[in-house]
Amino acid sequence: MLTYVVRRLCIAVPTLAVVSAIVFVIIQLPPGDYLTTYIAELQSQGEAADSGKIEFLRRQYGLDQPLWKQYVFWVLGMLQGDFGYSFEYDLPVSDVVGDRIWLSLLLNFSTVIFIWIVAFPIGFYSATHQYSWGDHGLTFLGFLGLATPNFLLALVLMYLLRIEFGISIGGLMDPEYVEQPMSWSKAGSIAQHLIVPVVVIGTAGTAGMIRRLRANLLDELQKQYVVTGRAKGLPNLRLLLKYPVRMSLNPFVADIGNMLPQIVSGSAIVSMVMSLPTTGPMLIEALRSQDMYLAGSFLMFLSALTIVGMLLSDLALALLDPRIRLGGGAQR
Amino acid sequence: MRPPAVLLAPLVLVPGLSLADPVETPSLLDRVRSGALPPVERRLPAVPHVDPEAGPGRHGGSLRLLMAKAKDTRQMVVYGYARLMCYTPELVLEPDILERVEVKGGRIFTLHLRPGHKWSDGHPFTAEDFRYWWEDVANNSELSPVGPPAAMLVDGKPPVFEVLGETVVRYSWEAPNAGFLPALAGARPLYIYRPSHYLRRFHAAHAAPGALVEAVEKARRRSWAALHNKRDSQYKNDNPDLPTLQPWAPETRPPSDRFVFTRNPYYHRTDTAGRQLPYIDRVVMNIAASGLIPAKTASGASDLQARYLRFDNVTFLKQGEGPGGYKVRLWRTGKGAHAALYPNLNAADPVWRSLFRDRRVRRALSLGIYREEVNEVIYFGLALTGNNSLLPGSPLYDEALRQHWAGFDPDAANALLDEADLPWSDDGLRLLPDGRPAELIVETAGESTEETDILQLVHDSWLKLGIKLHAKPLQRELLRNRIFSGQALMSVWSGWENGLASAAMSPAELAPTGQQQLQWPKWGQYHETSGAAGEPVDMDGPRRLYALNDAWRRADGPEERRRIWREMLEIHAEEVFVLGIVGGIRQPVVVSDRLRGVPEEGYYNWEPGAHFGIFRPDRFWLAE
Repeated sequence: MLTYVVRRLCIAVPTLAVVSAIVFVIIQLPPGDYLTTYIAELQSQGEAADSGKIEFLRRQYGLDQPLWKQYVFWVLGMLQGDFGYSFEYDLPVSDVVGDRIWLSLLLNFSTVIFIWIVAFPIGFYSATHQYSWGDHGLTFLGFLGLATPNFLLALVLMYLLRIEFGISIGGLMDPEYVEQPMSWSKAGSIAQHLIVPVVVIGTAGTAGMIRRLRANLLDELQKQYVVTGRAKGLPNLRLLLKYPVRMSLNPFVADIGNMLPQIVSGSAIVSMVMSLPTTGPMLIEALRSQDMYLAGSFLMFLSALTIVGMLLSDLALALLDPRIRLGGGAQR
Repeated sequence: MRPPAVLLAPLVLVPGLSLADPVETPSLLDRVRSGALPPVERRLPAVPHVDPEAGPGRHGGSLRLLMAKAKDTRQMVVYGYARLMCYTPELVLEPDILERVEVKGGRIFTLHLRPGHKWSDGHPFTAEDFRYWWEDVANNSELSPVGPPAAMLVDGKPPVFEVLGETVVRYSWEAPNAGFLPALAGARPLYIYRPSHYLRRFHAAHAAPGALVEAVEKARRRSWAALHNKRDSQYKNDNPDLPTLQPWAPETRPPSDRFVFTRNPYYHRTDTAGRQLPYIDRVVMNIAASGLIPAKTASGASDLQARYLRFDNVTFLKQGEGPGGYKVRLWRTGKGAHAALYPNLNAADPVWRSLFRDRRVRRALSLGIYREEVNEVIYFGLALTGNNSLLPGSPLYDEALRQHWAGFDPDAANALLDEADLPWSDDGLRLLPDGRPAELIVETAGESTEETDILQLVHDSWLKLGIKLHAKPLQRELLRNRIFSGQALMSVWSGWENGLASAAMSPAELAPTGQQQLQWPKWGQYHETSGAAGEPVDMDGPRRLYALNDAWRRADGPEERRRIWREMLEIHAEEVFVLGIVGGIRQPVVVSDRLRGVPEEGYYNWEPGAHFGIFRPDRFWLAE
C-alpha cells in the first residue's frame, strides 16, 4: 500500500510539469496579451490608452520578454510559493484569491451533501421499484434536471425567490453584510442565499448520481448472492442494506476525486450568472482578460487538486471495498 | 430670505463672492466638535467654487451603485468630475478647481489655484503639487520612460514650467497648445498635479533610502517606480491612503465586492446657501456580474445606474418601475454614429480599394442604406438617422451636413454606380472591374446581435444596388488585426466618439491620426508612429483633413478654430469616408425615486460628458 502511494506521488510530479507547460501555452494562444485586452476594454468605454503608459506597463509586467522566459519566471516563483502577480487586480495572486476559496468550499460541500441526501433515497427507491410509476416519475424528473441548462434554472429560481421571498438577487449575502465580520445574521443571510446555487448546481449532479446508483444497485440485485439471501429468508430491507447497497456505494466515494477540482472551477457558469463571490467567476474572468499568472495559477491548482483527489478517492475505495484492495494486491 | 433670481445670476458670476456663510455638514458635526476636523470655514478654500445650480438639497444619505468589476472604482473619479477645468452641460469650458486661468497668445497658461484649498487629508493643495508632478514624475526617466505625456508637448517640445507663487503656476510653450485646457477637463483628465506630501515617501529622490527599499520589498514590487505607480492611482482611485480632490474619497481597499466612498470634508464646492457639497455622504458600489446588473437594477438595488444597461433592457426596466421604486429616463448618447460602416481605404484587395477610394461608390453605398427602416425595426424609431456627424447639442451641429448623402435613394445610387462603371450581370449583381460579382464581406466584432441585425437590413437594401453583403462575425482582436493589415474590406463599429464637440475640442478624430480609425488604419498608424510603420496618406481629402487638424492645434482664437472645424465637417459630409447609419440612440438611465437633482433630459457620453460627471453628481441629493 505504501509503495503504491509513493509511486502515485512520483508520477504526479512530471504530470504537473507537463500540465504547467500546456496551461501556460494555451493561455498565451489567443492573439494579444493582457494589455491588448485591457486597451480594447478601455476603448469600448470610449477611453483612450496612452501608448507610452502601455509600453511602460508591458515592461513592468515583463510582457516584452520571450515566452519561455516568462514561463521559467512563473514556474520558479511557484516553487517558492509565489504564484505571481495578477495584472487585472494589480495584487499578488494569493491576495486576490483570498477568502473566496472558503466561500467556494462552503458552496461546494453544501452542494455535495445536497446531492447525497437527495440522490441516495431516490436511487434506492428507483432500483428496488424498477419500472413502477414512482421509478418512471423520478426518472423523468432526473432527466429534466440533467437536461435543463444550469444558468437558466438559476435565473428562474432567482426571479421566483426575489418575487416570493424578497431575497436579493445574486451574491452570497445581502450587500450590507459584505466586508462585515461574521455574525449570526450574516450567517443567516449566507444560508438564505446558498439555497438557490446549491439546488441549481446540485440538480445535474443529483440526476447523474441517481442514474449511477440505480444502475449499480440493479446490477447487484440480479446477482446470485441476493437470490441466496432471499432464499435463506433474510428480511428484505436488511438484505438490501447489508449487501447490494454497500456494493453500489462505490460511485459516491469515487466522486470525491471530482469534488476537489470542482471546488475551484466547478459551478463557474452558475456562479457567474448569480455573481457569487467564489473562485469560478474569477477564473473565467482571468482567462478572458488573459491575466496569465492568475489564470495559470488557478489551473495549476486545479490540476494538483485533481491528482490529489483521484489519489484520495482511490485510497478510500480500497478501504471501502475489499475486492479492489485484494485485486490491486494480486496484480502486483 | 433669498434674493430674487434675477439678482442672483450676475452675483455668482463674480469670482470670490460667496453668497452665504458656510453651513456645517450634519454628518461631520461630531468630528468637528471633538476637534478631529476643523470647522467648515477652515475646510473650504478662501474662495470656494459656488455652484448657482446646486440644490437647495439635503445633506446625508448613501447612494448605491452597481458595477461589474473592482476596476470600476475609477468611475467615481469620472462621476465626481472635480477637474482643474470643467465643461458645463452647455459645453462651455470653465475653471473648477482652479480659481481662474489666464491665457496669452494660446501658448502661455497661468493657472491660479484657490488659496486655502486642501486635499482630502487636510494638507494644503499648492503649486508644489504641480512642481512635483512636472519635475519628479513627468520628467523622471524611471517613472515616465517615454517622457511627459503627448498632450504636454507641442511639436515634440515641452513647456517651460514656472512656480510664480504659493498658488500660481505657469506653463509656456513656444507655439499655441489648443488641446491643453480641454485635456484638463477630460473624463480621464490629464493630471498635472500629484499629492506630493503623500507620494514623496515612495520617490527615490525624496524618501529615506532604507525605508524605501523596505517598502518596495514589503509591497513586493520590482522597483521603487513600480511602487510609486501603484500608490499613485489618482484615476484608478483604488488607494484609500492617496489624498484626493474628488467629492468622494475611497475607503475600501481592494480586492472586495463592495466599495465604499465617503465625502471629502475639504471639497471646494458649495451651493448658494453655503452648504458644502457633495450633498450625499456615502457612495456604496456593489460589484455584480455585468449580465446580472439589469436584473438587479430592476429589483431596486441601484439608485443611479446607466453603465451596463443597454437599450434593449428598456422594456424590462420599465416593467420594474413600480416595485423597484425608480424611474427610467432615456438620455441621448453622444457618439457621432452608434453604428457605422467603415470601407477600408487601405484594403489589401486592389480592386475594392480603388472602388472605395472612388467617392461616387461611397456616396452610392450611403444612399443605398434605408436608415429609417433600421431605426424603426431596431430602435423603436427613437434614434436619429443620418451620417457620421455631430449631433444636436453640439454648438457646431448642422442637420444639413448630417443628412448629406444620407437619404434613401436607390435610383440615384444606381446612377452613381453605373457612372463608376460597374455593369450588371445576369444574376442580379453588379460586376467588379475584374469580373468578380460584387459580393462584399462586412466584418463585425459579433459581440451583440444588434450589429448583425443592422447588417441584415443593409443587406436587403443593398441588393437593390446589385451588391450582396455578407456579414462575418469575428473575435474583436482578430477583427482589429484584419482591419489593420487591410485584409478586412469593410467593418462595423461606432462612429466618432465625440459627437457633441465644440470648436475648442480637438478634431483629431476627423483626420487620419490613429490606427483605430478603421477607414484608414495605415495612414493613422503612420501618424502615430511618426512614420515608422503604416503608409503616408495618398489621397487628397484625407490629406487636407490632416493639414486642417494640424492647423487647429496652432490656431489662434476661437473664430479660426470654428472655421477649421466647419471645413473638416464639410469634407466628411461631402466625401462620406464613413457610412453612418443611426446615432443618438437612447441610453436608459435608472434614477431612484429618492434621488433628486438628476436632470430629466441629458446626454450620456464619455468625452465630453464623463457619463454623469458633467451634470455634477455632487449636486444630487437623497430625499428622506
